[in-house]
Amino acid sequence: MNLSARMIVVLTAVGLISGSFLSVVGLLTKERIAMNQQLEIQNAISEVLPSTKTSHKVFEDESLTIYESRDENDNPVGFAVYASGTGFQDIITLMYGIDPSFSKIKALTILEQKETPGLGAKITDKTSFLRYWEGRNCEQPLSLRKPAVESPGNLAPSEVNAITGATISSEKVLDIVNLSLERLKEIKQKGQLSSEEKNAT
Amino acid sequence: MPPKKSIGAEYLKGLWNENPVFRQLLGMCPTLAVTNAVINGIAMGLATAFVLILSSLVVSSIKKLIPSQVRIATYIVIIASFVTIADRFLAAFFPPISKALGPYVPLIVVNCIILGRQEAFSSRNSIGRSLIDALGMSTGFILALLLLSSIRELLGSGSFLGHQLLGSWFKPWTIMILPAGAFITLGVLLGIALLIESKTKARSV
Repeated sequence: MNLSARMIVVLTAVGLISGSFLSVVGLLTKERIAMNQQLEIQNAISEVLPSTKTSHKVFEDESLTIYESRDENDNPVGFAVYASGTGFQDIITLMYGIDPSFSKIKALTILEQKETPGLGAKITDKTSFLRYWEGRNCEQPLSLRKPAVESPGNLAPSEVNAITGATISSEKVLDIVNLSLERLKEIKQKGQLSSEEKNAT
Repeated sequence: MPPKKSIGAEYLKGLWNENPVFRQLLGMCPTLAVTNAVINGIAMGLATAFVLILSSLVVSSIKKLIPSQVRIATYIVIIASFVTIADRFLAAFFPPISKALGPYVPLIVVNCIILGRQEAFSSRNSIGRSLIDALGMSTGFILALLLLSSIRELLGSGSFLGHQLLGSWFKPWTIMILPAGAFITLGVLLGIALLIESKTKARSV
């Protein structure tokens, strides 16, 4: 066999073998990865709305997914809002729980982020960032408090602490929440929240 | 051709004399980027070891079949396949680690240690020797990442593997978990490695 034929044969063979091997690995792990994501959403819902017993999707588009959550007596607990937007470096995906009347944020959790490790990545940290979001009044857009204060009691009702050294990441999270809040109220006004088909999750 | 090393020496050279990080200065991107926490350092070390060992095995076993003109392309295809497997495996079974490492798992493809070992060693040595070489280099890489990430996590967050070690008196040096801290730590460690090297050389002369 001449050289160029051999080069083609070897590279094609290696490519084919690798490719078929990878498609097997992809098939084997696909379900598990999808399951992990599903589980992550469910865990996130019970994290932001702790008394959740059942939840179902009531709205979905590219940047926003809304789940309605009910407790064991089938009373509404509130809505879990799954939203994403650009962060300092890459997309930030987060979820927060809000009461049925859209007046208070119950809790916030960050699902995906690639912010600067040790600085912006602190948006996932309970003690230095997330806990200041609990019980914030969200009837008007939330605002950022800088420099951060130690006790949540010193914040205005609709203020949240910025992270020292990561103002941009904190702002981006704030923007995602404010934007989704705005859209949430809009969607409710249009009556699209209940008209959606109810898919049990 | 230089005389063949004993199996032990073949393994041990990866730990010190030819340590990929401290002596060859290869694989600097993951070394600097993910060593801000010990768990990330260990996970990156293990993922790289998996790719390096399996790529070395495959390359050394098909080395006679690969025409030298397309060898690099072939190595890259083989390496990229193992990297994708490692990436999918982490995403399926260790989602938190997969998230923490983010883009750095797919980036193992361009880690020079792996391509370098295929080119310099596996493509001209037996399967057994390539395996020992890959094991040694992997151990050397893991130890280097462990050392770097321990120093950086301890000084930068006051913790080790997420456990708070230093009390509240300690004000974390945030710079240590930033890129600058990675360069500082690596520079100091390289200096120490060179110092030790020159001392042992002076003694042996």
